[in-house]
Amino acid sequence: MQRISSWLPVFASVALVCGVVMAPLLLLLRVSLYEPATGRGFYTPGTFTFANYAIFADSHVLGIAGFTVLCGVAVATMVLAIAYPLGLFLCSLPPRAQSIAVGLILVPKTAGLLAMLFGLQRWLPRGMLATIIAEVYLVLPYSVIVIYIQLLNLDPTLRDAARGLGASPWQVFRRVTLPLSLPGIRLAFQFGLMWGLGAFLGPLFLGGPSETTLAVELHRQAFEYGRWPLAATEAVGLLIVVSIAAWGVPTVAQLRKVAHS
Amino acid sequence: MSFGYGRDLVVNDVSLSIPAGAFVTILGPSGCGKTTLLRLLGGYLSPARGQIFLHGRDVTPLPPNLRQVGMVFQSYALFPHLTARQNVAFGLEVRGRSKTEVCQHVDAAFDRVGLSVTERDRFPSQLSGGQQQRVALARALAFEPPVLLLDEPLASLDRHLREQVRLELCRIHRQSGVTTVMVTHDQEEALASSDLVAVMQAGRLLQVGPPRELYDRPRSSFVARFLGDANLIEGAQLGMTPKSLFLVRPECVRVGHNWPGKIVALNFHGADLVADVQCRDFTLRLRTRAIGELAVGDKIALDLPQEHLWEIPAEGDL
Repeated sequence: MQRISSWLPVFASVALVCGVVMAPLLLLLRVSLYEPATGRGFYTPGTFTFANYAIFADSHVLGIAGFTVLCGVAVATMVLAIAYPLGLFLCSLPPRAQSIAVGLILVPKTAGLLAMLFGLQRWLPRGMLATIIAEVYLVLPYSVIVIYIQLLNLDPTLRDAARGLGASPWQVFRRVTLPLSLPGIRLAFQFGLMWGLGAFLGPLFLGGPSETTLAVELHRQAFEYGRWPLAATEAVGLLIVVSIAAWGVPTVAQLRKVAHS
Repeated sequence: MSFGYGRDLVVNDVSLSIPAGAFVTILGPSGCGKTTLLRLLGGYLSPARGQIFLHGRDVTPLPPNLRQVGMVFQSYALFPHLTARQNVAFGLEVRGRSKTEVCQHVDAAFDRVGLSVTERDRFPSQLSGGQQQRVALARALAFEPPVLLLDEPLASLDRHLREQVRLELCRIHRQSGVTTVMVTHDQEEALASSDLVAVMQAGRLLQVGPPRELYDRPRSSFVARFLGDANLIEGAQLGMTPKSLFLVRPECVRVGHNWPGKIVALNFHGADLVADVQCRDFTLRLRTRAIGELAVGDKIALDLPQEHLWEIPAEGDL
């Protein structure tokens, strides 16, 4: 009895993953393998085909995929460039000020998403920069928190020890703080990358015609043109790109191996 | 110097002179400010008042990296992302020493603390507590600082290892000649290792002196009690000057005939026997080689040899 009850949470989570993640994915895959519907429904039954995947040879779609990757890398890089110094700054504050500052960083998240985007729209002219800034703005609080917590968990006596051994503040940062915060850096970068690859609202509200990401494009295919199988195909493509990004970011151990060789 | 958080002084008007090459122990109960004093010496804290001189040079405004003081932290504070060797090389590398020089010094430091070759390329997480401590010690010694600070270096080691490491610390101190300041709350450690012991209580330095002097001739009842078992008897009870306080160590109490009493407690420690004897209106503790057949309730008479009676100066008493 006890054994079964201890496995219960595992079964529950497996069921949840299957129901909420796997089932829609399989459905998506299935829809991508049929011709678009001519009348009602998502696709034309009985027309099993791989033809939809030919869109990835199309220069228009390739251009969109290219911009999507660019958006992901740009968002991740910018997020890291802002979040890491901000995390360092937060950690340098006295404890009481830290909790106030963390609260302030999270404030934008309490405003509605649309309110934030309309606000940005008033200040930024539509274009690539505005698109990327919007996405950075949306994901930044999470990334800052990730890095802040990582830095907060570093043992302060390690920095003291480094100082005592003769390291200047910069050497302490480069040789102790930075390498020990790599896991947080990796996580924040990965986070920004996946967020940027899936960018939807930023390009929609602040992008021009050339700032179309795969997410915007597949939305258009589905809801404007009603071509669900093509939208599903693009969604599968996006899923593959995001998965590669998620797995492709080197782990800290791998980075260290490279650094040592 | 003095140091405090807010209005509470953690280190209160402490003045201490440490001879070059000495092994000095700062001894005190937890919370007495001894670690704070050590951190002040290392430059990790700045005194609110006062100055610190190293070889005649005022180092008070210098940050830790410019002080040339090696420190072994209580938690060892080894860099977890570096191997033992890289940890020890750290202090030399940040000083821009050449690769060959770093290698030589690192190996010499490892040899000095006795860390075997196979363990030198392991990460701290792969080493035992005792080995980690050796690495921390080697790291603090590798750049050859004139002063070494040790914060409770034996506290996290188990009992049998503690004595061994203590002896090694003494050996390393003898061989390197580095001025060593150790902080501990263990009076046995302090008495056994040091040239000088400084006893602290509530932020103040109560007494500084060689272990023997502090043990035999304490200037306050606190020091008398903190350094070991103590019989503290008021003068009036001994028929001497009232208001005076006398110390006699339990091992100096003799079996005799002047102070008849009754044994109220008896503890056998192997090498010796500790008996609490109720004499008139005070209790005397007697530590002696196991003598005959004694039992609680037995009558016994004790002597307090005059040469072992130490009068604690009244003004030093707390």
